[in-house]
Amino acid sequence: MKKSSTPFHAVRFFRTQRFVFLVFSLLLTMVSLAQRTVTGKVTGMAGEPMAGVSIQVRGEAGGTSTNTEGNYSISVPSDTSVLVFSFVGFSTQEVTVGNRTVVNVSLSAAASELNTVVVVGYGTQRKRDLTGSISSVNGDEIARLPNTNPIASLQGKVAGLTVANSGQAGASPVVRIRGINSTNTANPVYVVDGILQDNIDYLNPADIESIDVLKDPSSIAIYGLRAANGVIAVTLKKAARGRTVVNLQSSVGVQRVQDRIEVVDAAGFRRLYEAQLRNLGADTFDFRNYTANTNWQDLVLRNAIINNNNLSISSSGEKTTTHLSLGYTYQDGVLRNNNFKRYLARLSQDVRITSNIRVGGDINGTHIINNPAGVSVTNALWAAPIVPVQADENTYYAMPSFQRAQVGNPIANLNRNDRTSINRSYRVIGSLFAEIKFARSFTWKSVVYGDFSYSTNRDYSPLPFRFINLGEGVAPTTTTFDNTVRTSASQSQSESRRFQQDHTLSFDKRIGNGHSINAVAGFTTLYNNSSFINGTRRDTSVNIPNNPDYWYINIVNQNNPGNFGGGGGESALAGAFGRVSYNYRGRYLLNATLRTDGSSKFAPGRRWDQSGSIGLGWVVTDEDFFNNVKGIDFLKVRGAWGLTNNSNGIPDNLYRPGINNASSAIFGDNVFTAIRPAYIVDPNIHYEVVRGLDLGFDLRALNRRLNAEVTFYNRTTTDILTTLDIPNDNRSFFTNLGKITNKGVEISAGWNDAFNRDFNYGISANFSYNKNVVNAIGDNLNFQIVRGPNLTETGRSIGYFYGYRQIGIYQSTADLAKQPALANSLPGDIAYEDINGDGVITPADRTYLGTPFPPYTFGGSINLSYKGFDFLLDGQGNAGNKIFTQRRTSNFAVLNYETNRLNAWTGPGTSNVEPILDNTRGNNFLFSSYYLEPGDYFRIRTLQIGYNFSNAMLSNIGITKARIYLSGQNIKSWSQVTGYSPEPLIGSILQGGADNGAYPVPATYSVGLNVTF
Amino acid sequence: MKNNFPYFRNISLGIGALVMIFLFSGCKKFLDTQRQGEYAAEDYPYPGGAGPYDQFIFGAYNELRDFNVHVFGFLHATSIRSDDADKGSTPADGGANSLEMDNFPVSPTNGFANSLWTGYYGLINQTNNTIFEVNNNTEIEATEDIKQQTIAEARFIRGYAYFMLVRLYGRVPIIDTLYSDPAAQNNVPQSSPAEIYAFIENDLNYAVNHLPVSWDPKFVGRVTKGAAQGMLAKVYLTQEKWAQAMAMAQAVMTSGQYGFAQPPAGSNMSSYDYLFREEGENSRESLFEVQATATATNPQDLGIQYTQVQSIRGSGEWNFGWGFNTPSEALANAYEPGDPRRARTILFTSTPTTPGVTIYGETTPLGLPNPRYNQKVYSNPAIKAAVGSRSGWWMNVRILRYADVVLMFAEAANELGGAANIAAAREALNSVRARARAGNNNILPDVTTDDQNELRAAIRHERRVEMAMEHERFFDLVRWGIAQEALHAVGKTAFREGRDELLPIPQTQIDLSNGVLTQNPGY
Repeated sequence: MKKSSTPFHAVRFFRTQRFVFLVFSLLLTMVSLAQRTVTGKVTGMAGEPMAGVSIQVRGEAGGTSTNTEGNYSISVPSDTSVLVFSFVGFSTQEVTVGNRTVVNVSLSAAASELNTVVVVGYGTQRKRDLTGSISSVNGDEIARLPNTNPIASLQGKVAGLTVANSGQAGASPVVRIRGINSTNTANPVYVVDGILQDNIDYLNPADIESIDVLKDPSSIAIYGLRAANGVIAVTLKKAARGRTVVNLQSSVGVQRVQDRIEVVDAAGFRRLYEAQLRNLGADTFDFRNYTANTNWQDLVLRNAIINNNNLSISSSGEKTTTHLSLGYTYQDGVLRNNNFKRYLARLSQDVRITSNIRVGGDINGTHIINNPAGVSVTNALWAAPIVPVQADENTYYAMPSFQRAQVGNPIANLNRNDRTSINRSYRVIGSLFAEIKFARSFTWKSVVYGDFSYSTNRDYSPLPFRFINLGEGVAPTTTTFDNTVRTSASQSQSESRRFQQDHTLSFDKRIGNGHSINAVAGFTTLYNNSSFINGTRRDTSVNIPNNPDYWYINIVNQNNPGNFGGGGGESALAGAFGRVSYNYRGRYLLNATLRTDGSSKFAPGRRWDQSGSIGLGWVVTDEDFFNNVKGIDFLKVRGAWGLTNNSNGIPDNLYRPGINNASSAIFGDNVFTAIRPAYIVDPNIHYEVVRGLDLGFDLRALNRRLNAEVTFYNRTTTDILTTLDIPNDNRSFFTNLGKITNKGVEISAGWNDAFNRDFNYGISANFSYNKNVVNAIGDNLNFQIVRGPNLTETGRSIGYFYGYRQIGIYQSTADLAKQPALANSLPGDIAYEDINGDGVITPADRTYLGTPFPPYTFGGSINLSYKGFDFLLDGQGNAGNKIFTQRRTSNFAVLNYETNRLNAWTGPGTSNVEPILDNTRGNNFLFSSYYLEPGDYFRIRTLQIGYNFSNAMLSNIGITKARIYLSGQNIKSWSQVTGYSPEPLIGSILQGGADNGAYPVPATYSVGLNVTF
Repeated sequence: MKNNFPYFRNISLGIGALVMIFLFSGCKKFLDTQRQGEYAAEDYPYPGGAGPYDQFIFGAYNELRDFNVHVFGFLHATSIRSDDADKGSTPADGGANSLEMDNFPVSPTNGFANSLWTGYYGLINQTNNTIFEVNNNTEIEATEDIKQQTIAEARFIRGYAYFMLVRLYGRVPIIDTLYSDPAAQNNVPQSSPAEIYAFIENDLNYAVNHLPVSWDPKFVGRVTKGAAQGMLAKVYLTQEKWAQAMAMAQAVMTSGQYGFAQPPAGSNMSSYDYLFREEGENSRESLFEVQATATATNPQDLGIQYTQVQSIRGSGEWNFGWGFNTPSEALANAYEPGDPRRARTILFTSTPTTPGVTIYGETTPLGLPNPRYNQKVYSNPAIKAAVGSRSGWWMNVRILRYADVVLMFAEAANELGGAANIAAAREALNSVRARARAGNNNILPDVTTDDQNELRAAIRHERRVEMAMEHERFFDLVRWGIAQEALHAVGKTAFREGRDELLPIPQTQIDLSNGVLTQNPGY
């Protein structure tokens, strides 16, 4: 939808690639024959002469520029020559000379990002006319980064948008817009050319024309109740009119885990475990047979390949427009055996039946093949380094007795599960539309969408390996084989269907003296339906071969034990909406929205509710009194208020009683079905309501070299829907409870300029601050919302870390006696702060220790281009949050130690941070600041160097554009985080921030190619 | 309809009036989506017949098998805390949660303290749900007798759950109904132990009066009048209401329904040996057992993990479980010479000089992490092979059995005093010893004393060895007021009288209750 509106489409449309080639061929031979001079004047939008505009003849070296009156003179080889007019901050124009000798040109502000259109819901609007907060990212910025998931490319680019990537092959990132305003889900909704989606994993990054991030309640109100957490609107590429373009993008890279979690080696383990056993007063462990020094982490991690390829063909003629694209992605996970393959195809076709009637459709197919790793990183972190890996192909070493039952040999797990799972998913998303323009100002548009997905999995559970238990003390070395384990085959399939329809009537008219009105009204419905089945059967007599051809349930005779399941779901939404956009002379702007929504999740009487918004803007620079102000090109002051309803993340049917019949009573060997209420019913459950105010200004200054946007927002969610843990009751309870406020500021600024014609540069930065406060959590509620170490209560930020604050270590009995302590504290234990000052440490001394959600996020980018070379440096980070090293709190067995434990307290004066080695001292496992680390980080997200081949070099081989690049991503991070990645762990809302061995986010080094024919 | 936008509503209707009128008539139905593959409360096809409320009370039976009710926390609190059992497994296994239970004090953040709380309240919730359905479900027609019987069944289980809670925590909140607005109403303050015991007696008395003496054989193990009487006897005994305890125990003993387990004719198993085997489940001796079973298809779903957490922690074919709750050396030394119950209770594992042999004749491997395991939960290898699992989820948990009732009778009678009662107590005690003797007159001679104190010691000793590893010991020590003495004697010197008899109220629950629940003294 975002098209630069140059008035020269008509010139372009016959200029096919072949035609251009012909022109160039002719030019080359005729260059000296037909030189003539063309003159003219270049003016700006208001008719003012423009000095310093560069003018070139396309395909020719050299060129000229306008003088102070805006006049120029240039010699051209022929009538078919194309003049290229360019000036920083203005859109480049290309003009075919024809038989003219005078070519006057009016330049408009740069493909002016102010004039680009952005998606505002069931329509578009020029950015300059917006009254809410919408940030746009151009498709080129996404396509140039070698990310598998397009959303990953938004990280650090948009103020107020937090993206936390996962390193897992093919996994989608966690995305948050302006903090957390619900306790259920904080995921934004994606709107891809109008269709509402939960993710855009199925999109080809190269197909994206632009992404608009709708942040404030006034902008999202028109989308209704799916949109309350913000909207990420994706516009896909359509063929440009009058051209046929073939584009090929390809990149290949290697991913590497930069930062390992530091665990001790065999010598360190021995030292620490012996110390621990001494502290426990237990017998020493017989290490004699455990002589290995295995780095399990190195063995499960690897440098992994990533490869992205996209081919698109677009063609547009008088009547039809076609866009075809194909994509193939292959990604190996940095965890061995994990890999991901994705095939994408998209065909989009528009037909203009008459000048007033347009019909078209779009079909998008995705096929994904995913192989899980079969081992978790925590397995490798926990396994004792003193154990060798394996004796032969089928014989592995078991872990020592102190962790044998809890921790498997990571490599045995990895190899046993290697290629035993076949996971394939298919998805087809299609849409059809018809658009009729009538009575000059009206447009009716109807769109129907269908989204069909299907996934099928087959799994095989192979026989176990033989294990060698190394001798310990009197126990001899033995080799064991678990002969009760039998092979089994499993299959599962799931399918889902989603239908959406949108019907809109829009009106667009300029009336009289500068009044401009655009209005849209329409209705929409969304229907979801899904089902799944699964089954497994275990063969008790023969062993199923390790060959996928056999992995079907029926390979096992049906008199063998098996388990089978299946289920389904259904939900529906409907809405009607209207919006009026009005402006007077482009100076005074008004946008107003109304919507009514219905959701099947609520009782009939609670089902429908209204939402709406109003926004006002004033383009100060268009006022007469501003004509004399120098330096400021554009200044808009805007304010908007909106209200929207939310039901995201609410399970179906909660308003009416449901039954769980999965349990059973046993009498002797007889089994009887039991039923129980599935949850506590709240028949009055209703929408969360999000209200928000958004105030800001947009500035372009110093000949549009400087751009800046500043926005303040204050957004409140009332009637928060929360699932409550009711003590004394094991049923879940969903009810409307509380009120949450997110206030913040977003600042983004950029500077674009050129040193000279060959050397352009741009710098941009953005910063956002969000303050989250729970204003109330239930008027009728006398419980607290506690999830593990996270507490949600009135007056604090949502899900904050609540625990003891470490002030040191009790060094000795004397030291202990001097300080407040827990009833059973001992020397070597963590000393906690006596918050309430009563002289003893009790649960009342727990306090606020930080938030898992970063209040500060920032990003910056530097772009340079010199002749054919370009250079990009993107950085991004966040600050103010804490990360909980949950992986260090596991004490269910003796696990390998992280290196911080090498400094454990061993006697007075040895450490004031690390407690004694003794996993039975419960006091040291209380949740405290000892287990928190600052989440602040800054990371070089992208460092890229590219080269664009010049037209002269390419035209001979039929290529219009070609670029190659070298790119490094996540190559350097600055942080104190000890886990694999400093990215905030914000997937969970009420229990966020816990690092339990999160999948490593690797650095990626790639080389890429982008060619346009 | 809630209206966020009163002033916009008229305009809203105006905007697309035609479109919307058309739309809403269709949308009413469009939004009436249905459950897919799930029952709603009102469309469950309730079976009629004799047990119209069975599906509800069966939910409580299901909960009895829950991990948080009768498995890991249960064994820690009832057995590992006592002088009869050690934590077991490997030294650091189970971490602070387990070691605190073994060695005291238990911190308010202890995971078992919390899981027991949620487990028993989950069980109570199912019983309250049953009572609620009997009183309110109009879809179901049933006679008054059936209603009372169902409520009695629910109240037996609820009374038992509160009996566990009051012994574990002292003061707990009494939740005896389903609240219509749980967010507002469910946060109930704690009651005193006296109030809780009164509540339990009420429930169990109702159960005694309305439960059947026995059930159709397909419901073997379902709670009976005898189970309620036996449980009530223990409730009285715990409160030192000796006369009532004696009367209730006697009611069981004279009911004709129960006696010592009798192995099948021709078997060479002793009664005590047979009792704990799979084939001894629901024997004549059983008053209340948590029922469990398994099939090759469902080796675990129909069972309880109780056996697995206590079974030998070896490797390969000797990897039966987690190896927790191992009999202590003190217990091994507590038996009289030749008492066959010692070998039946304690599985001594092989040492380089002495092979350790199971009741099924298997020789245990060298180098197992513990010298002793609980042999009362040793599962039959033939059943393991048939199910295709070594984990023993199918073994019932013996909660209340006849010998326990006989010993309760003996204790209550002896405490009540008087020559006749003491004689009756001695006779009851000797009946237990006679069964244990299994015909071997060279061992376990009859107790002959008339002295109340000597007899008390004999009964306490008998109770320890007869009921060893059967979840009685810690409660018995506390009941008898000798917990500190007994536990200090086996090196659990951190035990402090006045604090450690009770678990702390879980900090998680105090936090959730926003301070309505208060901590026990000393924590």
